Amino acid sequence: MESLDGILHGLAVAATPTHLLYTLIGTFIGTMISHLPGIGPSAGIALLIPVTFGMDPSTALMMLAGIYYGCMYGGAVTAILLNTPGDAAAVMTVLDGYPLARSGKAASTLAIAAISSFIAGTMGVTALAFVAVPLASLALHFGPAEYFGLIFFALSTVSALTGDSLAKGLLATFIGLALATVGIDLQSGVPRFTFGIVELQDRVSFLVVVVGLFAIAEVSRMVEGTKAGTLHIVKVKGKLWFSKEEWRRAYPAIFRGAGVGFFCGAAPGLGGTVAAMLSYILEKKVSRTPERFGKGAIEGVAAPEAATNADTCGAFVHLLALGVPGSGATAVIMGAFIMYGIQPGPMLFTTHPDLVWGLIASMYLGNAMLLVLNLPLVGVLARILYVPPGILLCIILGIASAGVYSFNYNTFDLFMALGFGVLGYAFRKLDIPKAPLLFGLILGHTLEQSFRQALTISSGDVTVFFTHPISAFLLFCAALSIGGSIWAKRRPRTLLHAAEEQAAEV
Amino acid sequence: MRALRADLMLAVTVVIVAAIYLHTDAGLPTARIGDPLGPKAFPALVGGGLTLSAILLLLETWNKRRALADTRVDPHSPEAPKGDDKHLYLVMLAMVVWTAVYYFVFETVGYLLATPVFLFGLLSYFNPRKHLTNVLVAGGFTAVVYLLFSILLGVPLPAGPLPL
Repeated sequence: MESLDGILHGLAVAATPTHLLYTLIGTFIGTMISHLPGIGPSAGIALLIPVTFGMDPSTALMMLAGIYYGCMYGGAVTAILLNTPGDAAAVMTVLDGYPLARSGKAASTLAIAAISSFIAGTMGVTALAFVAVPLASLALHFGPAEYFGLIFFALSTVSALTGDSLAKGLLATFIGLALATVGIDLQSGVPRFTFGIVELQDRVSFLVVVVGLFAIAEVSRMVEGTKAGTLHIVKVKGKLWFSKEEWRRAYPAIFRGAGVGFFCGAAPGLGGTVAAMLSYILEKKVSRTPERFGKGAIEGVAAPEAATNADTCGAFVHLLALGVPGSGATAVIMGAFIMYGIQPGPMLFTTHPDLVWGLIASMYLGNAMLLVLNLPLVGVLARILYVPPGILLCIILGIASAGVYSFNYNTFDLFMALGFGVLGYAFRKLDIPKAPLLFGLILGHTLEQSFRQALTISSGDVTVFFTHPISAFLLFCAALSIGGSIWAKRRPRTLLHAAEEQAAEV
Repeated sequence: MRALRADLMLAVTVVIVAAIYLHTDAGLPTARIGDPLGPKAFPALVGGGLTLSAILLLLETWNKRRALADTRVDPHSPEAPKGDDKHLYLVMLAMVVWTAVYYFVFETVGYLLATPVFLFGLLSYFNPRKHLTNVLVAGGFTAVVYLLFSILLGVPLPAGPLPL
């Protein structure tokens, strides 16, 4: 019952006026960001990290987490009203959400999406609270060999499961790991790969990379968007609520979606998009009338919305219990943790109980806020879509520049961010996933340290990674995920690909 | 076919980058005080991984090319180069150069002078002919961000020659 006590304690922490206010600000900003095409949760969180300088870490993290799940919540609005997913995870919501909106059911579809997100979010946070504690106490016994196995496993799944090509996933991971080796080596004091540049001795700044890869690079997408046609927004009419019949259809889908989503989130690297796709496929499989899918089935909105929101909570399990991010956005939040001088991981529950339980409890409150915020404010928030992309892209570039400069008061960081912006653009053009690079960069240092420490303890004996049972098991899982990915790609057309194609056609 | 050629070039670039990385790694001093591996071993593995993933990419490209040949699709018809692409690349390049100029003068000219000029320049291109809106956005944004960072958050942005 440690978890229950923790939640109650956390609620007391999260319910103070300051924390409530910042949770609200976070969820509100997240909702706004989700309405902006091109800017996803990773870029949104990275851009707001400078604003949190000088804040209490718990307050700051509550706000940043709020941005993340707020963004997942709001992605449905543009999917339903505009036929455009607000963030990548909402691609499946488009398939049935937009036809429903076109047939005059915009209001009830939005309501179902909101209630699905709320229920799944709440279930997800509860599961997070109950899974994280035993996982963290298990991880307390981890030595360097086990940590090496764990990070190796996380990196292999993120390489194998994001994007279409295993080679490109691995490529991004290794680029991230290579970037992580830049700077002074802590054990020997030798500067590595700094090429005589003083600024690089203190390692490549994670936040600079994130802002460059996600915010500055995404500006290029908006430049392309300025050439696109005008958007047609479906008008919302009538009461924002749903009929009994709609609820009867939607609620089993919500529970199944939440289950699928949480498991996808708990598998490192699987991310919200895959969660949404899998839950959509599952609904179509179990439905007695699968032909309705794609033409306006309410289950087709409820399931992926539930899945993306439960996925968010699943992604926090790793971050809080093991210190390994579960998604691109949690990798950015992990960057924030480290910047505040807090190492996420199993010790967090004993060293910072207020922070971790406050954060978990704030997610309950934030979910409720989102439900209240979203329903009445849908019309108002959708107005952000009327801001011309030409103005929006300039503002994003402006915020990114001021933010990056304020990390270290250094123009070198600005040029680095611009360089990573160009790299991010190349990644997008070449279809290379960006999340594995973030994973490699943020975990590379710990991976190397645990690798070297494990070998120091074993006096250079490499078999140490295979003789420790947990480490051997994790390495076996890593091999399984890579092998599975190769096997899956040999088959010409998987269900997932079919779903991807269906999403691409819209 | 264009995508395949791009992947091929990517693989070659990665091999070159990995070679430079491994060469630099080999030049590092071997300091093994209390650590059997020293600072060179881990980067060597990473460099090896980079090379391996480039080789895997070559294999994937090779397989895709064979699959394409099997379906007998005319390689020239499906992806005709778009005329807009070249223009778009030029716009991006100009943006990168303009942003680099802005970063170059960021500290010397100061945030309050450089930012409105930078933003107005961008806005004039992306939001053309709406000069009043653009002036207001450029000026308003600069003022709001400066106030937010320097006064509210206590994170001073460079003032430049302005007596602030």
